[in-house]
Amino acid sequence: MRNNLRVFLVTAVLLLLSFGGATYAHHATASFDMTSSSTVKGTVTGFDWTNPHAYIYLDVKDAKGAIEKWSVEMGTIGMLARAGWKRDTVKPGDEITVTGNRARDGKPFLRLIKLVFANGQELTQSVQ
Amino acid sequence: MWNRLISIAAAVAAMLAVVPATRGQNAANPGPVPDISGVWQVTKNQPKPFFPNGGAPFKTWGEEKFKAANPETNDPNLGCMPEGVPRFMFVPLPMEIFQVPTRVVIIREGTQVMRQIYMNRKHRDDLYPTYSGDSIGKWEGGTLVVDTIGFNDKTWLDSGGLPHSEALHVVERIRRVDHDTLVDDVTIEDPMAYTKPFSAQQLYKLKPAWEIQELVCNENNKYTYQGK
Repeated sequence: MRNNLRVFLVTAVLLLLSFGGATYAHHATASFDMTSSSTVKGTVTGFDWTNPHAYIYLDVKDAKGAIEKWSVEMGTIGMLARAGWKRDTVKPGDEITVTGNRARDGKPFLRLIKLVFANGQELTQSVQ
Repeated sequence: MWNRLISIAAAVAAMLAVVPATRGQNAANPGPVPDISGVWQVTKNQPKPFFPNGGAPFKTWGEEKFKAANPETNDPNLGCMPEGVPRFMFVPLPMEIFQVPTRVVIIREGTQVMRQIYMNRKHRDDLYPTYSGDSIGKWEGGTLVVDTIGFNDKTWLDSGGLPHSEALHVVERIRRVDHDTLVDDVTIEDPMAYTKPFSAQQLYKLKPAWEIQELVCNENNKYTYQGK
């Protein structure tokens, strides 16, 4: 009987959680190449837990060892919080790998699709 | 025992779902009214809900404004300006509907925080142009019919850049098609910008566990709005 209740509750929660959310940008996505993705690996130098977008800043070393300053844009912090992010989810010094849509003007700027931490933990902006 | 509890809980939930939460929202009809309150989230982001493939019935004035619209440089949203109506209803962030006897109030996460629909009066005769216009509502069965005029011409109808004039007239038919689903059928009429009316539909899903979060758009806005 208890198991029945547990199954009922779990099913109810899953039903409640099953409506996915759209990722919000307060601007058009026209400035990003939405047809392909790029992946960079680097060291976090900063994290803006802000609206209308949150940003990760990271130093990425190229093949010759020169550092390129990348930035990564996410959605609003309200939607990020619903997707499991916190204001200290990303910290300076973290080694991360980011996959995203690159700015069409060629600047080192991504719209985040997926973040992978050094320990393999993954984060997206998807709200379940 | 547990089965009985579950049955009772299900029965109570079913009763709550059909009991109207608000009374007296129409001045002329003090009876119970439908309940559309709650936190709602659009089911999918429709950047161009009206003419996703082009072909809007422009008049010359509207077409020239549309040609000047550029989502990367002069979308009012880039400057954290209000979305206006109907774009307010298309933002892919949650909104919460409140019903009180004289008004339906919608608050949302987004650059424009609030919209008020007056249930107890006609359009004011002293309107001046505003972003939200003047919204009045009435219930037709289970449908909230909202009539809005009194707009300025500073917003877009959608994020694709469809323009409108101060002559914009928006009619919305908002209804709950099932407990978890809300529909807004939006009809646009603007005789200065378009040759004929047109419509679009937006669907929303109930988000009982969500609360509307603060969103201060000018906190860290890195985009430049080159409009005026």
